[in-house]
Amino acid sequence: MVNITIDGRKIKAKQGATILETARGLKIDIPTLCYHKELRPFGACRLCMVEVKANGKWKLTTSCTTPVENGMEIKTGSDRARESRKFAAGLLYYKYPEDKTVRETAKKLGVDVDEKRAATEQCILCGLCVRACREIVDVNALQFQDRGLGRDVEEPKVEFNPALCIGCGSCAFVCPTSYVKMEEAGGKRTIWNKVFKMASCKVCGRYFAPQEQLEYISRKTGVPMDKLMVCVSCR
Amino acid sequence: MSTVSFSSWNGKFVDNRKGTAKPVDVRFPERLNGSKFKVLMGWNGIVARDPNADIPSITFHYLKTVRKLSCGECSVCMIGIDKLLEIFRKMGSGKGSRKDLAAIRETVEGVTANSKCNFGGSSLSPVLDAIRSNEADFIALIEGKRRLTEKEYSVDVSAPCMKACPAKLDIPGYIELIRNFRFRDSLNLIRERCILPGVIGRACPAPCEDACVRVDMDEPLAIRLLKRAAADYDLEQGGSALTRPAKEKDEKVAIVGAGPAGLAAAYHLRSAGYKVTVFESLPYGGGMAAAGIPDYRLPKNIINHEIDLIRQMGVDIKLNTKIDRLDLKELQKKGYKAVFLAAGAQKGIKIGCRGEDEGYDGYVDGVEFLKDFSLGKKVEPRKKVVIIGGGNVALDCARTCVRLGFGEVEILYRRSRAEMPAHAEEIEAAMVEGVKFSYLSAPLAVVSKDGRITGIECIKMKLGEPDESGRRRPIPVKGSEFTLKTDMVIPATGQKPDISFLKEVKLTGWGTVHVDPVTYRTSVEGVFAGGDCVTGPATLVEALDAGNNAARSIDCYLQGKKFEREVRFKDIDPNETREQIYVPMKLAEKARVLEPRTRIESFVEVEGGFGPASAMQEAKRCLRCYRVIVWE
Repeated sequence: MVNITIDGRKIKAKQGATILETARGLKIDIPTLCYHKELRPFGACRLCMVEVKANGKWKLTTSCTTPVENGMEIKTGSDRARESRKFAAGLLYYKYPEDKTVRETAKKLGVDVDEKRAATEQCILCGLCVRACREIVDVNALQFQDRGLGRDVEEPKVEFNPALCIGCGSCAFVCPTSYVKMEEAGGKRTIWNKVFKMASCKVCGRYFAPQEQLEYISRKTGVPMDKLMVCVSCR
Repeated sequence: MSTVSFSSWNGKFVDNRKGTAKPVDVRFPERLNGSKFKVLMGWNGIVARDPNADIPSITFHYLKTVRKLSCGECSVCMIGIDKLLEIFRKMGSGKGSRKDLAAIRETVEGVTANSKCNFGGSSLSPVLDAIRSNEADFIALIEGKRRLTEKEYSVDVSAPCMKACPAKLDIPGYIELIRNFRFRDSLNLIRERCILPGVIGRACPAPCEDACVRVDMDEPLAIRLLKRAAADYDLEQGGSALTRPAKEKDEKVAIVGAGPAGLAAAYHLRSAGYKVTVFESLPYGGGMAAAGIPDYRLPKNIINHEIDLIRQMGVDIKLNTKIDRLDLKELQKKGYKAVFLAAGAQKGIKIGCRGEDEGYDGYVDGVEFLKDFSLGKKVEPRKKVVIIGGGNVALDCARTCVRLGFGEVEILYRRSRAEMPAHAEEIEAAMVEGVKFSYLSAPLAVVSKDGRITGIECIKMKLGEPDESGRRRPIPVKGSEFTLKTDMVIPATGQKPDISFLKEVKLTGWGTVHVDPVTYRTSVEGVFAGGDCVTGPATLVEALDAGNNAARSIDCYLQGKKFEREVRFKDIDPNETREQIYVPMKLAEKARVLEPRTRIESFVEVEGGFGPASAMQEAKRCLRCYRVIVWE
């Protein structure tokens, strides 16, 4: 445990925990779009800004990527932290004015939002799908594009590799804007425009997982395919 | 005294336009590539020589350049730049208003305070300098009295790590690709300037790490190990081939020496389509990387793999081909239009102690010792060996002797540990492996009996004033002579080129090949030289850089074009910065190393590399300190 001061409260916090985790444990509300508790923090959306005292000066930092340290002083609701969140939300709204989630978040953080515009779902490059695919599924079908000096890519995007995707749907599950769509009908699942054949349970006959996902699990774990062909409810 | 019109470099404003010329006591870029510039804008400010320089236009261009380096991963940097560019376009088309200046300020300040990395955190401040120093021009732009002009500006990009790297690798670039699990793309980016990534990823002194901005916060990025991770991962996946040239050219180029300089030049010339033949006297390629660096630091299969890839592109490497006399006419007759000399520097220099020329049994030069061992010569361990010198060759000899089972291994160095040129990690590794160090001791004479070494007479030294190398000069202490018992002595105090085969080419007083420092041309038409045979013994990465540049120079020569060297932040210090984002402390990932007791039993590689997961974790620590400058 470490001793920290958060919004004037002196508390003991778990060593190695981030400011965000600690604050949420104290029911302090900090907005996020690119955070998921099961995934490594990424610090992309810049909405979880707080102020931390470093060398006598208050500095802004993302609470999701900053671990608490003994003696740390933190302000989660200061004017500067709020302004900073509003600024980041404002820029997200500037870039994605039609995205529903961005609009809701921006409005909540004090940005003037034009309600009359059409509302859709857009990719805001939060990286949650990329991280879920890599860290949880260990498949790496999603990657940030190669950008940088001499590559002359105008708009960065997430690239989908259909050869690797097993259709598990983790990306759709974590996507904060619902941009990643997963549709299922008639024994077929469609995700990132790739169509997967669904396997049906040997016992109840219900479609329960893409064939490719079961094959992947079988390869990874060594469990034979016929054992995997039973759905969770019938096991 | 400077002749600038105004400057905001380093956040210090100097304005000499209104007749109130203040004495200039700030440092700012004076020259860029030797030529005068009109106006320069970079992460650290604006410097204008011409009072009529078009500041709004260079600012617009600067922002467009900065956008190309913004990674787009955080929600403020790239979007903020897009917003600024939109405001500039609006102002440039006469549709601006005074409110735009406030919007620019707000956006710049917001991006600077909220960005994820140092690039976003430090790149935009000069936009505010532009408005502050030239507000009238921006108002004229808003009022439609000026336009933004599209000009050709020069652009350069660096970072503290890139500037420190002799081969100027795009370090933040390849680290970012590792972070994003794009190991293959990362390796290809590395290969553009470092064709031996597995070798350099193991045996580079990594000056980039000393320059890393995190040095002052917690620990520098493990840049060398990240490079190695990109190479290792590729090798694990089967090893990707190098791209064969898109178009063949007719001209043939001869390269003397298959060390890092020769291989780098061979790769780039072959990529450009030339027919390249490399002549190597040893039975293997790699030069000093293979002959001088023992397996426990750099396993041979790593070098061999990287050389094989170059060979598979169509480079003809002729091994066991010693050139006794470089007959240029003969080469020209065979159709070689250019020659690149990269023969290295492997001849040990005399240490100036009595008896060194007597040919005693047990007196072997350091580089010779390592080379013989790498060629498979059997070395019988003796009771004791004394190695003279404080560089990496001395350390490599010592650690090799430990592994060969010598009873006692002692390094004699005439200065103190602080002055030792070997890498600190090498010294520490040798110490834990049991090598003894005697500092402030210099050899006077080899003591022998019946042609065999029995000891070495030495004298104690003390440190005086710094000499031309900046290190404190050792001075003998009178009457402090002593004798060490030993049955082997390995002098390893430095090397010089062995270029007796060169008859026509002009040499320097140091016995190195004389070249034009920009073009790598020697005194003979069509003959170029680079690497250790020009510089004297230096690092592998410096040799690679020479090979890279010489290849471009040779290409220009063969195509009848003028060769221009890259500017690369000449006279500009990328470490200077006005803004620093908050960085939570996080120590570097550690690679595992073999226990000293295990490692001295064999020549197995001591250091383990990063697996992909550790590499990606480590890559996350990079602060992306790219610095951009544009100028006209």
